[in-house]
Amino acid sequence: MTLQHPHAELSAYIDGELDSAAQAAVDGHLDACALCRAHVAQLRATAAFVRALPDPVPSRRLVPRLGAPAWLAPLRTLMTLASGAAVFLFIASALATNITLLAGGSAATTAQEASRDRAVIGQAPPVAQSASTGTPAPAPVPTTSPNAAFAVASTAPAASPQGKVSVDSATPETSKRLDDSAARASAAPGGLFNNNPQDQDAARVTYSAPQRSPLLNPWLWLALALICGAIAIGLNRRLRASA
Amino acid sequence: MSSASESEIQLLIERARAGDTRAFEDLARREERALYRHALRIVGTTSDAEDVVQDALVSAWRSIASFQGVSFRAWLFRIATNRALDQLRSRKRRPELPLDPPDDDEATWAEPAAPGPDLTQLAGDREALAAVETALEALPAEQRTALLLRDIEGFAYDEIAVITSVEIGTVKSRIHRGRMAVRNTLISRGWRGPEG
Repeated sequence: MTLQHPHAELSAYIDGELDSAAQAAVDGHLDACALCRAHVAQLRATAAFVRALPDPVPSRRLVPRLGAPAWLAPLRTLMTLASGAAVFLFIASALATNITLLAGGSAATTAQEASRDRAVIGQAPPVAQSASTGTPAPAPVPTTSPNAAFAVASTAPAASPQGKVSVDSATPETSKRLDDSAARASAAPGGLFNNNPQDQDAARVTYSAPQRSPLLNPWLWLALALICGAIAIGLNRRLRASA
Repeated sequence: MSSASESEIQLLIERARAGDTRAFEDLARREERALYRHALRIVGTTSDAEDVVQDALVSAWRSIASFQGVSFRAWLFRIATNRALDQLRSRKRRPELPLDPPDDDEATWAEPAAPGPDLTQLAGDREALAAVETALEALPAEQRTALLLRDIEGFAYDEIAVITSVEIGTVKSRIHRGRMAVRNTLISRGWRGPEG
């Protein structure tokens, strides 16, 4: 390679960007230099390769929508706040539900253990005491369902003229009925697992799980949070595309 | 570009400068894909390239009143190129590659072993195009930008100088060095150059 080779000019030469004098000088050199002619051909081919590269297509519209409605920004803010509030309610309702279930589960376990002990040693069940003293303890219902733990607000038998009666405010009749029912359950040969149909009926009507409000369902709030969040993101992209 | 479409574009530019949003959208839509492919080959990722073009077009609309250049297309490319290079600098994804290395006009010429296959045959070769893409990605951003503006977008050297805010001699050097680097990559991968 010699300094006479106009290497640095060859790209500008093939692009037609040299002035006429320089263009003529390179032309004259190329007539006599096979190496530079080969280089020019290679540079032309390289430029053709670059031009032949595939043309990518954007995945979305990139031109801004200049006439974006004025309500778009406030709606985005509203949706963002709503999404945040729904997330908070999701967490709160999930915690509330778990706490209730945990409290109920431990109460049911305690009641079952107490009943089992009484059945073994043949003592009178403390249900009547609980009812008469107002202690919110569930009766020894032969059940393994955690829902029984919700029996803090227990109800009287459906046929009772008093209607719903909580344990705290149980009348003497209700207390007596509870007492009788519990005594039968403990005195039965089956112990805790009493097979007497009458006793089972009594136990079934005495306790029932309270109705949970649908507003306490955490999945409702999670779904709402996701929907509001998605709308907020969409509105944000729409606003970003606007001038 | 025909003179009829040039006058049409001039009319659209005037209307856009007067605040006509539809006229600006029409102008932007004509360059949307070109701006995107240019930005994509600078920043390297589709999402970043889309953001760059979108931001550049929003910026162009906000400053359309100050546009006084001859070429609206070059003006748009200048805004998009600056955005893309800013994005690249802020990301620092390629810290090992300087944006603008020192000029050295006497670049090394790697020589092929012998005259090779026909150019048209290679141009359709996916492997060759993939090698070109790889070579472009390895270029310093400023060289890559100049080469893309020349070989893909077809801008003249003086327009590229305006777009990239450098002297025309720098443009000439960057294009030559970038083209040489791509050519040397192809040679290193077995390309023997066009016949003749």
